[in-house]
Amino acid sequence: MLMFALRRILVSIPVLIGITLILFIMLNVVPGDPIALMMKEHASADVIERVRQQMHLDDPLITRYLSFLWDALHGDLGKSIKLNRPVTDLILKAFPNTLMLAVSAALVSWVVGIPVGILSAVRRDSFLDRFFMGFSLLGVSMPIFWSALLLQYVFAMKLRLLPVSGFYGWQYMILPAIVLGWSSAGVIARLMRSSLLEVMRLDYIRTARAKGLRETGVITRHALKNALIPVVTIMAIQVAGLLSGAVITEAIFSIPGVGRITVNAISSRDMPLLQGAVLFATVLVILGNLVADILYSVLDPRIRAQMRNET
Amino acid sequence: MSKKMKLLLATGLAGLVLASPALAENMLRISYPEDPKTADVQMTTDAYTLPLNIFDRLVESETTGPGQSALVPGLAESWEVSDDGLTYTFHLRAGVRFHDGAELTADDVVYTFDRMLNPATKALNTDILTFIAGSQERLDGTADSVSGLKALDELTVQITLTQPYAAFLALLASPGASVYDRDFTESAGDQFGLTPETTNGTGPFILRDYTLNDSQMLEANEDYWRGRPKLDRLLVRVVADSETLRLLFETDELDVFDLDYAPTQTPYFYGSDQWKEQVRSGPRVGIYYYAINQLKKPFDDARVRKAFQMAIDRQTILDKNFYGKGMLEDGVMPRGLACYTPATPIEYNPARARELLAEAGYPDGVEINLQQVSSWSTKWSDMNQIIQAQVAEAGFKANIVVTDEAAFLAARKTGEAEAYTQVWSADFNDPDNFFYTFFSESGSKVRGYNNNDPEVFAAIETARGMTDQAARCKLYQDLTARIVDTDAAWVPLFSLDHSYVVQARVKNFVVPWNGWSDMSYYKVEVE
Repeated sequence: MLMFALRRILVSIPVLIGITLILFIMLNVVPGDPIALMMKEHASADVIERVRQQMHLDDPLITRYLSFLWDALHGDLGKSIKLNRPVTDLILKAFPNTLMLAVSAALVSWVVGIPVGILSAVRRDSFLDRFFMGFSLLGVSMPIFWSALLLQYVFAMKLRLLPVSGFYGWQYMILPAIVLGWSSAGVIARLMRSSLLEVMRLDYIRTARAKGLRETGVITRHALKNALIPVVTIMAIQVAGLLSGAVITEAIFSIPGVGRITVNAISSRDMPLLQGAVLFATVLVILGNLVADILYSVLDPRIRAQMRNET
Repeated sequence: MSKKMKLLLATGLAGLVLASPALAENMLRISYPEDPKTADVQMTTDAYTLPLNIFDRLVESETTGPGQSALVPGLAESWEVSDDGLTYTFHLRAGVRFHDGAELTADDVVYTFDRMLNPATKALNTDILTFIAGSQERLDGTADSVSGLKALDELTVQITLTQPYAAFLALLASPGASVYDRDFTESAGDQFGLTPETTNGTGPFILRDYTLNDSQMLEANEDYWRGRPKLDRLLVRVVADSETLRLLFETDELDVFDLDYAPTQTPYFYGSDQWKEQVRSGPRVGIYYYAINQLKKPFDDARVRKAFQMAIDRQTILDKNFYGKGMLEDGVMPRGLACYTPATPIEYNPARARELLAEAGYPDGVEINLQQVSSWSTKWSDMNQIIQAQVAEAGFKANIVVTDEAAFLAARKTGEAEAYTQVWSADFNDPDNFFYTFFSESGSKVRGYNNNDPEVFAAIETARGMTDQAARCKLYQDLTARIVDTDAAWVPLFSLDHSYVVQARVKNFVVPWNGWSDMSYYKVEVE
């Protein structure tokens, strides 16, 4: 297992370097000057030229890329052009907020999604099933900015039960977690339902039933274990995605997270910051996939055997 | 749901209600649409709320009435200007202290302006100091100090200019000329203005907390030389989403709602019984305009430009898109600006415009492009669309070209940008801020080649140095006629009022003379 994990991590290093290189080239092909963007309507040609030179933005592409890579290998992701602060600091300061949002949204989606999926599968084609599936379809298809506004309006504006937006305590986390969790709960519920239905058709379930086990026992002890495998995989990847920043949710609820930083960096052509944010997201997604694979192997002995053969 | 359950849920949820940040306190809660990045005004050209409240300037521009301002003594209690207009001598107020307790001296002023021009600072706001003798050498790195900056004694600063510049005092009252403390700022290095620990000024408020992309908290400076501010604290929240902004204001989590950040809410607030009495509105010394790139056909022909001017029904745009909250503008200088007099009204006359197009050789109409920047607010795309429809009547087939801001700025620099609409608000109360920005040789290059008249270039340079204010104003008025009527080099549209909605407890909220969102909160009170 350890070998497997190590190998996966080693393989991801060229992936990381490749991504920085692609990003670096792309950002230089796209028109746009960070200094001009910073100065907006007050831009004057002399000042832009001068500051560009002072910041070494006029150096050749290859020089800049190599010096970025060299610094990055030493743990230094450089300084944000616009915010004038070290990129690592910016990301690490924003990350706890994003982490909190991601974890609470993930919890909401699991706590809601898994039971709903199970109930729907067990009561297949019942009214409850249709209701739940309709509700999760709504969660999946409703754009976040819309559901956010709706919940803000009802719970903050009309009922005055929760704060509208901001980030000053756990109460502020409730609405964003529900908004974000709702959309992923939909995915999980639907996946849970179909996966459980599939498993319930298998022979060993019939055997369990034939043994005289009660239906709850059949589901919890036998069916669920297998049905959860694809769900867990999705969950791990989902969390990795959430951690690299829930852009819209962060903007609507004024959460100072990684997503906000990334979007700002894109629109202001803040190369060092964007490099850092993308690198960070890449690492998270790679780790998320790794965790998913490991969980997979824990849940499914067949995969474990396969891994042993590979290493 | 059983009654018990309902009760449980209700009490549970009620327990979650959080008192919004310190309502009971003597604190004003305002918002900003994006993070200001820094309090160091030398490193920004647009986020001025922090600098205006944390620092002072030698001279201050005080709002004296709607759209009116006067230059009043700030850190300098008096000054003299030599007869040739080249030497300014400022006498500093004695006993002014920075937030860290250090006393203000002439050397701090010299240091501040030198720091801006020092290439190592990589400052963005250098334009305001380029009239000082030796500034160019310092910027280029060929000199270690600025020859035109001298501390004559502890409290006297002498500034020498390379040429007389009538707007120099007004410029020193702009946020960019905020004064720093030498020792503190030197030791803070490039971290100056980024955190409370590395920020120090003489202003009415002290920066106490700065959470990036979230908020800044400022606290009253008890020892402020003009007397302590009325507020104990000032909270600036970063709120990017305009719907969220309105919800925050309506749930009393914000005290000031700036309609500039959410213009579509204008009819709601003006029409609401609850809020209409709470609207605070004032004129803005700023002008909406179309800048026309004269390098691009068919706009190289003045008749086509003139036709474009006459084909736009400005009053309709003002009424429909901006709820009639403003006035038409016909010149380069908007009302409220020094030297302003009403210019010749531009007539809305599509039939005449069509004739002009025919005279210019386009009897069947002509295709033009209007630039639209995707990230700008929808008010700009709405304006482009309504103008696209309006000018069709005169025979213009207008295409709207959408690019992102970065691409637009790049294109504007190389002269590739299309005609675009934007707004310019006064940084300082002088016509030079408008004429030089748009119609000087260098300015017009940056603005997308919207002027190509060498005589205007020369006259603008002359006007900068004139010391006879009446003659100078006359020249600007003549230039207005030349630029707008003769050359039709730009299309003045209108100036808008700036409206805010404030909670009932907010008192003394005055819209600043220039109509900026960024202002000093020194005199504002909350009950």
